[in-house]
Amino acid sequence: MNTEQASIKAPKRKNSSPWAIARRKFFHNKLAMISSVFLMTVIILSFLAPYITTVDISRVNIGETSLTPSSDHWLGTDQSGRDVFTRLLYGGRVSLTVGMSVTAIVVVFGTLIGSIAGYFGGFVDNILMRFTDFILNFPFLVFVIVLSSLLFGHVSGVWVLIAVISGLSWGGVARIVRSKILAEKENEYILAAESIGTSSAKIITRHLLPNVLSTIIVQATLLFATMIVAEAGLSYLGFGVPQEVPSWGNMLTSSRQPDVLQNKPWIWIPPGLAIVFTILSINFIGEGLKDALNPKSNR
Amino acid sequence: MSEQSVMERDHQHSQADSDVLLEVKNLKKYFPVTAGFFKRKVGDVKAVDNVSLTLKKGETFGLVGESGCGKSTTGRTILRLTNATDGQIIFDGQDITRLRGSRLRKFRQNFQMVFQDPYASLNTKMMVGHIVDEPLRNFTDKSSKQLKSQIKELLVRVGLRDTDYYKYPHEFSGGQRQRIGIARALAVNPKLIIADEPVSALDVSIQSQVLNLLKDLQEEFNLTYLFIAHDLSVVKHMSDRIGVMYLGHLVEVGSNEAIYKEPLHPYTQALTSAIPEPDPTKKKERIILEGDVPNPQNPPSGCVFHTRCPVAMPKCKEIVPQLREVRPNHEVACLLYDED
Repeated sequence: MNTEQASIKAPKRKNSSPWAIARRKFFHNKLAMISSVFLMTVIILSFLAPYITTVDISRVNIGETSLTPSSDHWLGTDQSGRDVFTRLLYGGRVSLTVGMSVTAIVVVFGTLIGSIAGYFGGFVDNILMRFTDFILNFPFLVFVIVLSSLLFGHVSGVWVLIAVISGLSWGGVARIVRSKILAEKENEYILAAESIGTSSAKIITRHLLPNVLSTIIVQATLLFATMIVAEAGLSYLGFGVPQEVPSWGNMLTSSRQPDVLQNKPWIWIPPGLAIVFTILSINFIGEGLKDALNPKSNR
Repeated sequence: MSEQSVMERDHQHSQADSDVLLEVKNLKKYFPVTAGFFKRKVGDVKAVDNVSLTLKKGETFGLVGESGCGKSTTGRTILRLTNATDGQIIFDGQDITRLRGSRLRKFRQNFQMVFQDPYASLNTKMMVGHIVDEPLRNFTDKSSKQLKSQIKELLVRVGLRDTDYYKYPHEFSGGQRQRIGIARALAVNPKLIIADEPVSALDVSIQSQVLNLLKDLQEEFNLTYLFIAHDLSVVKHMSDRIGVMYLGHLVEVGSNEAIYKEPLHPYTQALTSAIPEPDPTKKKERIILEGDVPNPQNPPSGCVFHTRCPVAMPKCKEIVPQLREVRPNHEVACLLYDED
């Protein structure tokens, strides 16, 4: 009898919280796990750049321009004689910082606006959503170019770019969160929460947000990828991160010269590949999260 | 009516006043209907129209009617989950019709609700323990440890295990989930529980268990129930008194026996004739109602039931019948009984 009981009890009860289940599903998704490892490596390498290479990124060396990859310069040097590998690491730092910061700001702000509009509805909803429409209607590229040329010289740097991009991008998240909350709040458990005297703020944070969080998380990963591309695109056009700061987009700028594009592929291929693989891995992670957070999928 | 019986009734009435828990007077809930770009108001859906009822302490008042007749809206309006268009809700001597904000939130510990759908009424992302202790966290500042033992006791009381505290809603069956919902409603020790079709989403085999649990809890915690259902046998099993609703109107109120043995309103008669008879040798005459429930946005004039009433008279189109006490403790809103 005792042994029987023991054998029944033996497998430790797995944590059955919906989040724990999603976590287990995610860990079983190979592609998502490989992507996570890759992305973590990129992040760690980028942010530990000062400890990995001791080369000064801003030092221009006339004697060593456009060297092919060698044991001294793993990925060669660019036309100004700067080490490509070092710039790649530091560039990742900037690109990822822009991507993560914009994503964080956009998600927090969009969720705030979207959940308030969705939960309270009516007049509040109208005001907030018309404001959102207003922001969404700005032509993104034109506005960023105008803003960064206006601000150029006064305040410049990565943070201006982050502020500008996030200020223009939160509208999409706000709309998605609002529509999700609109659907979710019709459930009886929200009425139940109201009937047990839970305050509106608590209903939003304790009941509604956890139930729309899966959408927000997936949205955030996709946004992260988009924002890295946006930074690269803007920098490539010369309206993003200031030229002297290395970023993957800025490094690609040199490929605008036909000579570099044709004859010196080591200068532009590494940042190009870095962007492609980072975006790819982020998208795989997003896909994996989507499957893991969907209680109906068994993948 | 003899003088003595009038006196008796008056006496009963004054005595009844002291143990009245809930009094609803002329409750109205209209939902505006809007049309066009400017959201112009074009009419009202009269979900609840002039409903008055009284609940005595410790009794179970059953509210029956077909779907869409305003039973649930009545319940929700009484609990102030939607605002009444007009009328008064007096709970334990206090008018709560216009209570707002934090005072209303505080007041909510007096009345609670058990919901219809045990799948939709529990937040799937929350641990059962936290679902049940949420009302207590809102109203008291007990320590987490005290709360935990109290909640575990409560879970055992409603027929779950104390280890279920750590589980999540998806690990339970419909009946068990409804028990969680009942535990949540009980947590703050309310005086009134409005049960909005608490068993209609459950298997028949589970229904009786949950109903009997509700009955046991009523005795133990001295609860008053407003029991909303469309299943007549369930209401018969549960209720002391019954109110019958049709298209937002309360058409008949009486004791359980009176309603089932001696229904007065033609609508109630049609309803009770539809209850399946377990004895096959008994022949029962079924009254089949013609047509559909009219659109509540544009209800019929006079008595709202006259379009389907088998015994309608010409005056039914014009005069709105009022709820009147036709027999002792048996009220009906029908012109048939208006002669005297």
